[in-house]
Amino acid sequence: MSAVPTDISSWRHPPWLRDFAAEESQAWIFVAKSLVAFYLAAWLTMVFQLEQPATTMITVAIVMHPQSGTVLAKSFYRALGTCTGSLFGVLLMAAFPQQRELFLLSLSIWVALCAGGAVLYRNFMSYGFVLAGYTAFIVVLPAIDHPTAVFDSAVGRVSEVMLGIIVSGLVSDVILPVRLREVLRRISREHYQHFIDFARGSLGGAIPREDMEKAHLRFVRAAVQIEDLRSSVIFEDPEVRARSSRMQLLNLRYMAAATSFQSLHHLINRLQRSNHPRTAAALIKLYGPIGTALSPDPSEKPMPRLLATRIEACEAELPVLAAKLREDLRQDPNLLLEFDSGTTLVRRFAAELRDFTSLEATLRETQGVVGGTVERVDFKRANDYASPLIAIVRTFLTMATLSVFWIETGWTFGLSALLLATVFSGLLATSPMPVLATANTWVAYAIGLVAAYFVVFELMPGSDGFVMLILVTAPLLALGPYLTTRNATLPGVGAGYSLGFVYILALKNPMVYAPDRFLNDSIAALFGLMMSGAAFMIIPTVIGTQWLRRRQLVQLRRQVVFAATAPMDGILYRFESVNRDLYQQIVQFTRQGSEESRVLFSWALAVHDSGRAVIELRQDMLHTGLPPPVREAMQYAVDALAQLYDAPDKARWMAADGAVDQAITLTTQTLPQARASCQPALADLLLLRTALRDDESALAPYIVKAPEIAHAP
Amino acid sequence: MPREVALADALVPGLLLIYLGCLLVLWGIDTLIGRYGLYRYVWHPSLFRVAVFFVLFGAAGLLLYP
Repeated sequence: MSAVPTDISSWRHPPWLRDFAAEESQAWIFVAKSLVAFYLAAWLTMVFQLEQPATTMITVAIVMHPQSGTVLAKSFYRALGTCTGSLFGVLLMAAFPQQRELFLLSLSIWVALCAGGAVLYRNFMSYGFVLAGYTAFIVVLPAIDHPTAVFDSAVGRVSEVMLGIIVSGLVSDVILPVRLREVLRRISREHYQHFIDFARGSLGGAIPREDMEKAHLRFVRAAVQIEDLRSSVIFEDPEVRARSSRMQLLNLRYMAAATSFQSLHHLINRLQRSNHPRTAAALIKLYGPIGTALSPDPSEKPMPRLLATRIEACEAELPVLAAKLREDLRQDPNLLLEFDSGTTLVRRFAAELRDFTSLEATLRETQGVVGGTVERVDFKRANDYASPLIAIVRTFLTMATLSVFWIETGWTFGLSALLLATVFSGLLATSPMPVLATANTWVAYAIGLVAAYFVVFELMPGSDGFVMLILVTAPLLALGPYLTTRNATLPGVGAGYSLGFVYILALKNPMVYAPDRFLNDSIAALFGLMMSGAAFMIIPTVIGTQWLRRRQLVQLRRQVVFAATAPMDGILYRFESVNRDLYQQIVQFTRQGSEESRVLFSWALAVHDSGRAVIELRQDMLHTGLPPPVREAMQYAVDALAQLYDAPDKARWMAADGAVDQAITLTTQTLPQARASCQPALADLLLLRTALRDDESALAPYIVKAPEIAHAP
Repeated sequence: MPREVALADALVPGLLLIYLGCLLVLWGIDTLIGRYGLYRYVWHPSLFRVAVFFVLFGAAGLLLYP
């Protein structure tokens, strides 16, 4: 290709065209995969002589998803959901074969619970819940007039749904798969690099608040994103599965190091603001060796292993340097205290950074399983029970209303309406704008119906055989998956179109020509969809509302209470992961740079700072050498802090400040007798005190400027 | 091997049980290969996995139902 002049080749492939082509090719690969899955599923259903290829195709339409990388990973939960749902359907049919009111009531409750589960759990588990509701419904649907046939019907429907799940999983896993594992590796390396660069580049200690906010957001996103990916990849890749616990540990160390780093920065900023520039300068000097350790010669490759050894070497220098810097500050005992707490923080950060880089190095250097065992840690999610509860109530009311309407009118196609309401109240409940999404889905569903009408009643009567079926249906069916890839701009449109099309296509063997059924079914389906949309209007979703955000902010604040009261076993990981998950959930719906996001950020920082210090303090309190009265004073301080963060007000702030101060005084007095046990605890207490008295933190409105803190210069 | 097995009085096709058994065996093999990182020598791991499953299921089915 060297004959082609470069300027012409760049003219022929402008960057926007390349981006466009890359995006389009991804979309069309997904379309091709979906079509293969649709037809393979339909063909296999016919080969196995199952009754309704339509059920298989509907399942494929629900399950195929472009972002998913591997549907196989999710198939696990989907299969679980299907089995549970069908089992429940059979049980229900056995329990109430004659009482339709009780039957529909129980079914409504079941579907409502499933919708609640779909909201409560995220990612692929949520789909399992949607399918559990859907399968329970679809199992009893044909048997509702012939209760004796429910078992055969259940077996048939479960086989069809399972077949749909298996086929879509296989197709997306085998044909041009998007390897999530590569994504995970790339992203975790990016985040690692970003963190190291950030730690190296911020020697000066003066990071503007906006930058810190952005960095914090990025650290939080990184931790949550890595965990999300890891939990999917373990289903895809046995190698990752074997290393899973180590990756969780890496994430924990990442989070811990990020928190310490932020606390350190916060402390330096605070000291600079409150006229302690000398202490701040001393701390920045103390941080110097870490920065140097993180920037090796450009000739050497900055591999994690190299960094880990360099940090380890610099860790040994730190105490010597700290002692030297301490000498210079000797005149002022207050400065000295602040400096000591900063020193602890620097050393903690260095140790955590060393652990983090050395684990990263181990993970990069080894292939396959890594020997030895590591501590098991679990990423905890912060769940709020309000939105699932509302989803449960809403879905129950929708289903109950539709059931009553069906019973009262004796409408033959009421079942179709119920079925659609079941599927979409689960699928759309997680959307932050469900009414808009339902409206989109409704329109798309109607378009899908029209397209299917054209295919079924104009094209299909003239065709014969499976190849002809594919030729006739493929062009219009392909629109559905294509629209699904545009989900960001047109939410719900793709799913609506595909479902509408496949539902009316109602592939059977042999096909029947029944225009009357088309009309009845479409009206019923659109009615059911409209009902679930109306339910979203009557009982609006709380996801993304001010109310829920405020609730979550309270939950975030109470994390300090958790840190102060929860059992010590594995507390650090739970604290760090829930904090991040919560912050991530709230920040999704706040505008960047707004007043609200500023308040949120300052609370998050305060919670991170104090919570972590409380945990460290509690760890140090376990030291056996601590005299009982000192420990009591510390426990008192911890409790007072928990109360303050539970419901902050001025009186509680005073109580907490007093308790921490008391503990500091007592510990300082005992320091000469029990240096080993008191020294680390004292540093944590000092950190807590500076965090409490920080006049730029979220606690600032509650701070009482009492005359007795006159000794603080 | 009987063509149908009664599980709690419900007749289940024997092949289904074999299918589930093969899935278990596949899962074991998969974990083992993953543990030692042998998938690096395979061009398309998931295709390989599917192929292994077909071999297992085919062999078991043909051997047990001649």
